[in-house]
Formats: sequence, C-alpha cells, structure tokens
Amino acid sequence: MAIKPKAKQKTIVESGNELAAIAASQINYDVMGYFPITPSTQIAEYLDYLKAEGKHTVNMVPGDGEHGAAGICYGASVAGGRVLNATSANGLLYAMEQLPVQSGTRFPMVLNVVNRTVSGPLSIKCDHSDVMMTLNTGWIVLMAKDAQEVYDLNILALKIAENEKVLLPVIVSFDGFFVSHQVRKVNVFADNKDVQKFLGVKKPMYTAVDTKNPVSIGAYMNEPDFLNNRIQLQQAMENAKDVVDEVFNEYKELTGREYSKLLTYKTEDADIIIFAAGSVIPTYTEACDKLREQGHKIGVVGIMSLRPWPEKEIAETFKNAKVVVSLDRQDTYSTLGGNMSIELKATFNDNGIGAKVISRVYGLSGKPTPLNTALEIMQIGIDALDGKDVKRFDYFGGHAAEGGKLVEGLPPLTIEEQTSDITTEMGEDGKVKVSGVNLRKLMKKKERITPGHGACVGCGIFSTINQFLLGIEGHVVLLFHTGCGMVVTTGYPYTSFRSSYIHNLFQNGAATMSGVAEAFATLKKRGMIPEDEEITFIMVTGDGGNDIGMGPTIGAANRNHNMIILEYDNEGYMNTGNQLSYSTPLGHRTSTSNVGKAQQGKKFQHKDTAQIMAGCHMPYVFTASESFPMDTIKKAAKAQYYARNYGTVYGKMLSACPLNWRHEDSMGNKIVEAATNCNFFPLYEIERGITTITFDPEAKGKKGTVTDWLGMMGKTRHLTKPENKPIIEEAELEIARRWTRLKAMNDNPVL
Amino acid sequence: MSKNTLPQTNDLNFYEIRMESIGGLGANLAGKMLADAGMIGMGYNGAAFASYGSEKKGSPVKAYVRFGEPGTEVRINQAVDEPHMLVIFHETLIEWLPVTMGVRPNAKIVVNTSKTPEEMRKKLKLHGGTICCIDGIKISLEEKVKVNTIMLGAITEAAGFIDKNKVKKVIHDTFESKYPHLVEPNIKGFERGGSELVIEEFKPDNTFDFVPYDEKESRVGYASQPIGGVLPALGNNAAKNLSSNRVGLMPLWNEEKCKHCAQCDVVCPDICFVWKEETRDGKTNMFLKGIDYDFCKGCLKCISACPFGAIEQAVEADHDVSKITVQKYPELKKI
Repeated sequence: MAIKPKAKQKTIVESGNELAAIAASQINYDVMGYFPITPSTQIAEYLDYLKAEGKHTVNMVPGDGEHGAAGICYGASVAGGRVLNATSANGLLYAMEQLPVQSGTRFPMVLNVVNRTVSGPLSIKCDHSDVMMTLNTGWIVLMAKDAQEVYDLNILALKIAENEKVLLPVIVSFDGFFVSHQVRKVNVFADNKDVQKFLGVKKPMYTAVDTKNPVSIGAYMNEPDFLNNRIQLQQAMENAKDVVDEVFNEYKELTGREYSKLLTYKTEDADIIIFAAGSVIPTYTEACDKLREQGHKIGVVGIMSLRPWPEKEIAETFKNAKVVVSLDRQDTYSTLGGNMSIELKATFNDNGIGAKVISRVYGLSGKPTPLNTALEIMQIGIDALDGKDVKRFDYFGGHAAEGGKLVEGLPPLTIEEQTSDITTEMGEDGKVKVSGVNLRKLMKKKERITPGHGACVGCGIFSTINQFLLGIEGHVVLLFHTGCGMVVTTGYPYTSFRSSYIHNLFQNGAATMSGVAEAFATLKKRGMIPEDEEITFIMVTGDGGNDIGMGPTIGAANRNHNMIILEYDNEGYMNTGNQLSYSTPLGHRTSTSNVGKAQQGKKFQHKDTAQIMAGCHMPYVFTASESFPMDTIKKAAKAQYYARNYGTVYGKMLSACPLNWRHEDSMGNKIVEAATNCNFFPLYEIERGITTITFDPEAKGKKGTVTDWLGMMGKTRHLTKPENKPIIEEAELEIARRWTRLKAMNDNPVL
Repeated sequence: MSKNTLPQTNDLNFYEIRMESIGGLGANLAGKMLADAGMIGMGYNGAAFASYGSEKKGSPVKAYVRFGEPGTEVRINQAVDEPHMLVIFHETLIEWLPVTMGVRPNAKIVVNTSKTPEEMRKKLKLHGGTICCIDGIKISLEEKVKVNTIMLGAITEAAGFIDKNKVKKVIHDTFESKYPHLVEPNIKGFERGGSELVIEEFKPDNTFDFVPYDEKESRVGYASQPIGGVLPALGNNAAKNLSSNRVGLMPLWNEEKCKHCAQCDVVCPDICFVWKEETRDGKTNMFLKGIDYDFCKGCLKCISACPFGAIEQAVEADHDVSKITVQKYPELKKI
C-alpha cells in the first residue's frame, strides 16, 4: 500500500486481543461492561492493565455474567456513554437477549466477538457458531481476518455505529486464538488524539440522563408501531452500506490502510472462487497463488461485512464465476450449508448468477487450515469445474475411526466401596451429631474422583473436594460447573470420574442438579427406579460459577431440593486466567484488578456467599477448608444428612490456587489455614437457622493477623507496602465487622 | 539491515522455531519477546503464538515463532511442523512427547539440560542436527530469574542471525516499568544463556531414524464415538502417567516412621497415596503402602502435613522412581 498516511502511525508487535484493547484505550471509551470468557478475556485484562498503568480512564465494570455485562453496556449507552464489551461463544448467547434491545432501541456501542465454538460439548476453540447467531439481531457485524484489522475495525466500528444515518451497535468479530492470541506486526496511530479527532465527540440523539430533555426509553410496541420500528432499523442497515464505504475511505486517507466490505483476490478472470470469512482468508490467497502457478483460474473472496450484507459487491464479483466453494465454519443443519452458503445462494438467485455452489463445513472447534488443507479444498472446486462428481454439501476433515474404542477405565464403585462407619443422628438440641469419623479407617473408601487429572501442581480443588467426599456415604452423582475442576478432569476421551458426572455451563448447575434430583424422585415414585436406591446429588462450582450462577443457586435453595451445592472458592476466575470474582478480597491482584501506579488491585470487598445463602433459610450452610480435615468430613456427613432429610445444603470451601495466588506449590493448606486464623475465612455452620462457629482461632490460641495471611502470597505482596496500609486497614475493619457479627450469631440462637 | 540474513527458510520463505515447554516456564513470553526483537528491532516480518488450549501449570505447551524477510506477507496461521530450530525448555518432556517430530536434519536443537550434546543426542534419538545445550536450571537458580530469558540467550546465540542487543532491549523494556529490579538479573541470565551454550553438530549418520511430522487422530470418530460426547468409561484418566509434571523434586516415604494417620492423603491434590487393609498383630486396619508416582506432580504438600516426619523431600535424580512407585490401580492398562 503506497498511500502516505496523514496521521502518524507506529509499528508494534501485538496480538489481536491486545490490539482491541489498545484501540479501546486510545478511544478512551466511557464504560466497558464485561464478563470474562475465553478467548475474549484478554481484551478486558489488557485494558485493565493499561488502566493500572495510567494510560486511559475507561470505567471498567465487571458484570455478574454476560447477561449482566450486556445490561451494564445498555445502561451506559442509554446514559450517552461510549461503550465497549467483549465476549465469545456461550457468553454471547447468554447475552443475546439484550442484543436486539440494544439495536431495536438504537443505541450504538461496540462489541468484540472473539469467535469460539458454541458448547456443548464444551470447546474453547475457534469456529463461527457464535457470531453467525448474531446475524438476525439488527447489529452491524464486521469480521477481521488478522490482527491489523482487529485494531482498525475497532476504531472504524465506533465511527460507523455513531453515524447519524446508522445509529446501530456494531460487532467486531475475529477468530479466537488464530487472531486473538497470535502476535503480529501491525501499524497503529502514534497519537491518541488522531484517533479521537477521527471519531469526534459523541452527540447522542437521546440520553436517559439529560435533565433538561427527559425521555422514556423502551415503551412497549404492538402492531403497527413495531413493524415500523423494524422498517427504520432495516433502513439504517441499508444506509450503513454506504456509510461503511465512506468511513473506510476517510480512514484510508488518514492511515493508508484500505478496506472494503468484500475482499477480492485474483477474481477477475477466475472460473473457481473460494468464499470464506476470518483467519483462513490469507491462507487461501497463498494457496491460490500456488494453483495459479499451475494454470488454474482460481480466486478468493473474503467477507468483512456480514451485516450489512454486501449484495451489490457479491453480485459484481461472482458474475462470471463457474464454481464457488463456499466455506462455513458452522452449520445451520439440514439446509446444506452454513449461513455464508445460504446467503450466498440467495444472492446468486436474486441476481441471476449461475455459478455452482459447493458448501463445505470446515474448521469446527479450531481444527486448523494449514496450507495443505486449503489446497485440498481448492481441489474440490477444480474437480467440480472438470465435471467430476462432487458432493454439493459435506463436512471437511471428519474422521470415522470405525471400530475405535475408548481407553478402558475402572469398574463402577459398589456401595460397600463407598461406605464407612460414619453415623449421623439428630440431637435433642436440634443439631446433627456425627460419629465414627476415623481418618485412617476412611482410607478404605474408594475415591469417586480418580487420579490422572490435569490440575496444576499443588492445586487445592481436589484435596478440598476429595476431603469433603470422604464424609459422604454411598452413591453420589456429581455435577461440575465449567471451571478448572471440570476442565482438568474431563478432557475427551478421558474422565477422572468413577461415579456418574454431569457438566453444565456455569450459570446453570444448581438448576440442572435440581432437575436431576426431581426426576430421580419422580422416577422412583413411578417405579422406574427401585425404591431403595439412594443417591446423594452434589453440585460443585467455583466461586466464579457462583457469581454468574448466583440466581440459579438461590433458586435451588428457595425451592429446597434434596441436594448439596459445594463451592470451592479460590478467589477468582482461575480457569479463564485469574480474573477477579466477587469473592476476590479487597486489594488482591488479578488479571482484571491489576496493580500499577493508577490502581492497587480489586476495588471492592469480597462477597459473603455463605451469608447470602443463609438468607435463603436453607436447612444447612457451612464453611470448611482442607486445613481442618476432621471438621470438613463431619460437615460433609451433616450435609448428607440434611440433604437427605430436609433439603438443599450449601457449603463454601476456601481452596488454594498456587498459580494465581502466587505461592509455593506446597503451601496451599497453610495459606488457607492462615485465612481462617485471621478471621477472613471463619469456619462455621448454620443448622436450620442456628449458627455455630466450629473453630475460634482466638480460643485455640491460633489467632493470626491479616498481614500474616497476605504476606504468604505473591498476589498480595503490594499490599504489605506502607503506602497501601489504608487498603489493609479497610480490609481488616470489614473482616472484624463480619467476625463480630458471626460471633453474635454464634452466641445467640435467635440471630 | 541487509537482505537475506535468514540462514534457512522453508517453501513459504519463513525461518521457523518450535518451543516445547510446560505451562509456567514462560515459553510463550519468550516467543513474544523474540518476535518483538526480530520484527521491531530488526525489521523482519513474522508471527508468534502458542499451542492453543486450556493450559495449566505443568502441562505441556508449544510456542512458535516464524520470521520472514521484510515484506514477506504472513498468510498462514499453521503450527510449526518442520522447525529450523527446536527449543526444549524442560528436559523431561523428551521422555513423554515426540519432541523431535518433523525437526529438519540440519536444524538447531536448543535444550535446557546439564547434559553434553553427545548425551543429549542419545536421549533425543536425533537423526541429525546441531545440539546446543544450556544448563538453564543452574543459571536460573544462581541469577534468580525465570528460565525463559536464559533460553532466549541460548536461542539468540544458536540462531546466529538475531541481534543480541535488540533482544536485550526487549528484555529491558519488558521488565523496566513493572519490575525494575529484575532487569539486571534477566540481562545477566540472557548473557549467560548465550556464553555458556555448548554446541556440537551431528551429521545424519543413520544412528537414529528421521522422525517425520505426524498428527495423531483421536482413537474414536463419528463412526465410533458414543453419541453426545458421553463417556461410558470410568476414571480412565488413571491410565495416564503425569510424571513429567515433577520438576526435579519428589516426596519420599519412610515406612518405618509412618503411623498411617492419613494426614498426607487428605491434603494430596493428586490422589497418589496407596492404601491397603491388613491384619497386623491381630488387628485389622488400613496401612499406607506407598506413593504412585505416575500421579504425583511433586507439590510436596504431604511433607509438612505429616506429623511424624515420615515423608521427606528428595531429589528425583537420586532415586529410581520405577522401583519405589506403588501402583494404585495395578489392574489398569496404562497408555
């Protein structure tokens, strides 16, 4: 590109995600509402890092889930703010209800969709099953094929969104990992002012916070008004076709970088054209060059603007093509193509283009397209042109493995192998008495979770859960929310579970387990399952799963099913790379509560989940940790008693994460113990409303300080500096307040 | 810079590096720093990325760097199958993974090891190539830095075409703003990574066969996967061996001191203590029989949990683990 840019550019080496964050930092958005999900998480992480370094002042608000994050963004945009979000896959789907609200009420914003396979089965890798679901939401959808385009589109998107002829929200979509995590050499604006000058000052048509011009936003509409609202939206989308071109042109003058809705490569004389989106486009141009050398008249078309759909450009480009191989990184099932193919065929039909369209679903769940694959795909087009018999639709890259077998595991556990001498009975004081807990004798019990899992060295999750399971007698069914515990135990085709196990996405485990428990009871009643069959249902979540899944957890508690909800709390979203959770304590460093000159870790106090659950007045609530094994096992036995006889149980166990707490692998149980000794994590239980502290550090002569505890971890080292004393004091005050309150509850059964 | 400085390139005009490492050693960051030095400092074009997945500390990762002459467009996103340089950050990976797969016969192989290139060739069963050994662990302990900047020093020295000063600048810039006290030790680590590199070339002499790149398909496919991704197998993760997670240290159980109290078992994250019911002196009880080292990742939590000093820290190299390991599931066929 020989165009000399008007605005000074500089060359840097960064990944797609980092570039989305750099663009956001240069724009200096008013608000980012977000919730972490791989592979989009780095955008919020890096933006938070830049904020800690004082590079921008974007107000970053961590949502309670993607649905909440989308709500935060909607609120911030109706307040007139410039707003950013980033998500992927099921996060996008969880937020999706909000997408038509954003577009239908016409409040522009920018959402990065970092393409990832929609679960389930769960996969974190790239395909287009997420972004293609947004095509019917009234958003503009622009797709970047590489890191440079991620940066540029993040700036262009906002300009397009806020154009008065458009006023629609815009999605910038790019391939997870291939683009989001790959480091490339790119050019960016050297001066933030040039970015801001290009965008201008936002002049919202309506805002909810203009006291001189108050408005009602979101009145309900029936026919004919709603239809007319949609005609306006459709007109805005039509207008966007020209606006996109205008904005791209203006940007070219400024940066020297040229874009169009449709990328065409050697298509002018092409008999065969490959039609694709995303990171594979450049690979097909490489393959195209190779085949051109062999004399094949072949070209490549890559689409950047999925919405608005560039009908005119497509009709022009494909008018002389004979064969088109249309590539879909998702399927619409039974329509013989993904969205790309179906829309292409519709455009051909309307414009009298006679090219034969061959569709291939490829690259699902990140299956890569190396050059050889691109050549094989192109060969399909060549064969079709030669008149060979070619399937018009197929999946590319499947693998039959006729007769293939899974690696053999262990036989199912018998009830005897899961039963010990533990007995429980209700005491006269209304509290359950547990006897027969002998640690050594318990070693006879066979593990429901077998070794061979892939957790980090020194991970607290499995010592924590296994300790709890030692106190549970008989058959169990486990359900894990998405999280470290799930990912490291069940990487297909392997499992660590020797009992039945279910995974569901991590806002819905408690609801799912409710369904399991209720169906079990019903099937028993109807004679489908023997009457004497006993199963203890245990739903396991991290503290993250109980942020996004707090609603269903409370719902299950309110409905009072016969089940246990066990939370391992490692103070953050560790599976996605250590983002803050609401349970992260004040001042702790995470990847979204960075430490730098402008910020000192997390800004708000930790959530008290046990007390939230106590507020549901459920039969049994407890806290425990692996540092006190006898206490844990007794509480597990009680949990089972209450789950069998009374209803839902909730327990929180503090669980060490050496990787993200930054401590020696051998220190986890010591640190968790120190958290209890300083009253940060008190051990107690609430039996039908009666609170009992089960370990009082002061009474046992073990009282430690908050600084003793924080001094053991790298993530809190900054807090021990003199300048951060006020943060420690604020944390100490809150810990003392919660402890005093708990003591009062312990001393008074009415509380 | 002058043209055509890359010593070798493939069909697509790239010089390609593959790093074999485990999560936590910083291979991905090393790749990124190298890319920065090559692309910003020296004007090459290229890319850097890592094997994509849910990476936990201790699990194997691969990081890739490719360089092309200025103006070479990067139009591929594929992994590096046939590297010009192979970098092994963690020696025990050699036992568990086919690290030499696709490595070109004239490649440079940089290994973090205290072994000589001759010994390393035998361990790698390398067809041919130039082996460059660096005792990264020793330097890392002496300079108190992570192994990745040391490996960067070794990579830079072995590659020959990378400007040392440009890499040093990147290291400087990486640590300066946040961890200024780490700049000097990392620069020193980088220097020693280069100056203490022991290099020896081995021509392909048919001592060992060339190992071509080969991607393994999964054992079940659409004709054999149970539907819905359901796994009717129970606990088959136990068929795995996770020994490569240990980085030199291991717990050693002393039966004579053991009172079988199970305090070790209840803090073990990896479920590796093996118990058996036995009758001794007329009493039936549970007895600890040992540790299944196939599962032990070496966190050493059990050592401080033991009230009787019956578990001690030991250096793995001093023991024949295969002789002292006690299998938890002897009936299970290992993969």
